Amino acid sequence: MRKYLNTEVVDAVVIGTGAGGAPIISRLAKAGLKVVALEAGGQWDPQNDFATDELEQSKIFWNFERLSAGEDPLAFGRNNSGIGVGGTTLAYTAYTPRSRPDDFKIETEFGVGKDWPVNYEDLEPYYDELELFLGVSGPSPYPWGPPRKRGYPLPPNTLNGAAQLMERGCRQLNIKTSPAANAILSAPYFQEFVGWRNACTNRGFCQAGCSTGAKASTDVTFIPLAIHFGAEIRTESFATTIETGENGKITGVVYLKNGVEERQLCKYLFLCAGAIETPRLLLINNLANSSGQVGKNFMANIGVQVWGEFEELVHPYKGIPASLISEDMNRPEDADFAGGYLLQSIGVMPLTYASQLTRATGVWGKELRNKMNAYNHVAGINMHGECLPHENNFLELSDENDQMGLPKPRIHFTLGENEKRIGSHGEKLMKQIWTNAGAKNMFVYYRNAHTIGTCRMGNDADTSVVDAEGRSFDIPNLYICDNSIFPSSLNTNPALTIMALALRTADKFLGKY
Amino acid sequence: MENDFSDIKQKVHDFLKNTYITEPTRKALEERIEKAKGKNHFFDDYSFKLLSTACSLLMDQEPKDPFVNIAFFIDDRLSKNKCDGWRYSDMPPDGEMYLKGLGGIDETASMMFRKNFTVLEKEEQIKVLKVIQEGIADGDTWKTLSPVRFFEELLAETTEFFFSYPLVQLDFGYAGMADAAGWQKIGLNESEEIEKLVSNHFKNIPG
Repeated sequence: MRKYLNTEVVDAVVIGTGAGGAPIISRLAKAGLKVVALEAGGQWDPQNDFATDELEQSKIFWNFERLSAGEDPLAFGRNNSGIGVGGTTLAYTAYTPRSRPDDFKIETEFGVGKDWPVNYEDLEPYYDELELFLGVSGPSPYPWGPPRKRGYPLPPNTLNGAAQLMERGCRQLNIKTSPAANAILSAPYFQEFVGWRNACTNRGFCQAGCSTGAKASTDVTFIPLAIHFGAEIRTESFATTIETGENGKITGVVYLKNGVEERQLCKYLFLCAGAIETPRLLLINNLANSSGQVGKNFMANIGVQVWGEFEELVHPYKGIPASLISEDMNRPEDADFAGGYLLQSIGVMPLTYASQLTRATGVWGKELRNKMNAYNHVAGINMHGECLPHENNFLELSDENDQMGLPKPRIHFTLGENEKRIGSHGEKLMKQIWTNAGAKNMFVYYRNAHTIGTCRMGNDADTSVVDAEGRSFDIPNLYICDNSIFPSSLNTNPALTIMALALRTADKFLGKY
Repeated sequence: MENDFSDIKQKVHDFLKNTYITEPTRKALEERIEKAKGKNHFFDDYSFKLLSTACSLLMDQEPKDPFVNIAFFIDDRLSKNKCDGWRYSDMPPDGEMYLKGLGGIDETASMMFRKNFTVLEKEEQIKVLKVIQEGIADGDTWKTLSPVRFFEELLAETTEFFFSYPLVQLDFGYAGMADAAGWQKIGLNESEEIEKLVSNHFKNIPG
């Protein structure tokens, strides 16, 4: 790997190596720019480091403490945040549906929320590119959304028990289902600068670290490409200070490398640390916030889950955790809310199940042991839906410091009326589907997924942090690209759209550079 | 001793050595078994005993002889200041929460039964835990520490450590750690050899 001197003014520093950062690092490096990426965590060696054990794998989650407030406080760590080269893609389920055209125009359609300053057509070429590059396995033609130029490069992954149950339950209600599009290889796939990546072995550990390379996290796709073209991935490097010069432009980034302060000079900074760490860093450094929107508009997809026990053996730890999808509820006819949701089958690892079970139902003692004895017969179904921005939902700095000496973020989250209505609609439908499928002893787990919206993009500098190309309105050599720039939550899982935005941001930047 | 788990423990030990388990998985599970022995570092002996009792009851274990004492794991992670990435904003930091909460358990026990928690009968101990979970427990402690939240956190953490312990996993029929060959049969009512083995030899260990 090429190394740059700290004193060299590299073309770009990128903070974060996940879905936002990695595509940018690789695109810029491929164009011949000098790029240094700062990653707070280390470089994992999945085959040798990753165990099929959830507790052991907690090492891949962002474990610096965040304070969770509001009436529906969110869980962090395992719920939504990764650390290490790959960022949260180390822990994502690799569910990669495309967002649909109407996803980007909530405000136009419903008069609430905020429209995106980009369209489906702007992202479409990047969706095409990504699905081929990552090796997305999915059904062709895809049953929902606009027609596409090409089908998926690989056929869908095999359906597991939970998927079969959801299929059964939905069929009776005439709800269309399909194998999902996953960035998980259903067959060996040649990845440039990596070699042949293995097909998925169905170990079901996508959310706790893929040990085989079948899941397209950025460390086995974009990052090797970036390194080949001369990017430096600096690990154990926790960014703390963004330095600016007399004209307000960024001059460099100070970071802690194994506890020692270092500084990298740069011409441009791409901040891709996720919707919690990106605004946190900006607030700590008091930068790029003339709109007052940094940290505001925090959103998290409504992700209610319904669990049940079935007569059949399910062994819910096998296969891809989210292998069946329905997009029929994108805009339900009987909706009393703005937006919509996806339905997804869910498998689950035992610790995640046990912990959610106790938090959702409070069950313990003999009753808990009995419920866990039924684990091999358990399957879940979840919804993944729109969340509107609210005044009550935001990130701020607390006055408690973490072990890096930086103020812990406090995230306020309360479900709004729209989220409650979507949740309620989905809960009712999922219970019906699950009952049809044969579920007994059902319980509901209210949960919200992902962290979104805290540095939103827009055309108006008064109400947005970055413009349609991801560039800060306040600081001309600052770009932001991760989940924080979404002006609306979308009802689709965000990873593919984040990566598409990242490639687009890089191309727009290179067009001007 | 009421229950002798040494036979089963040996079986688990042997099971972990089979080739269906990858090296990183085996290492993690064997280290976990080792960690369950040892000494308390964060809690003093009395608090540790109280925590041990509570954890055992939460997991339907005999406090005098559980499969595994979860308190070792909680003590270990607090002494190393490890964190899972978040806490409720209205709760104190984890170590403080535990110390306060354990004191609260004793306080409630005294107010309900005029004795400390660890010397109560099992049924009485369960009653104490229940009122704390329901948020109706007596005691000054609970004026500044939410009993409902404390109980939720204690239960969630105990649950996570308990169900990640190898003996417990095999006991509820979980074979997912044995994935070295991957899984080929992933549909309904499909079991592979190693899953059948776990089901036949380990599920529902008496005790």
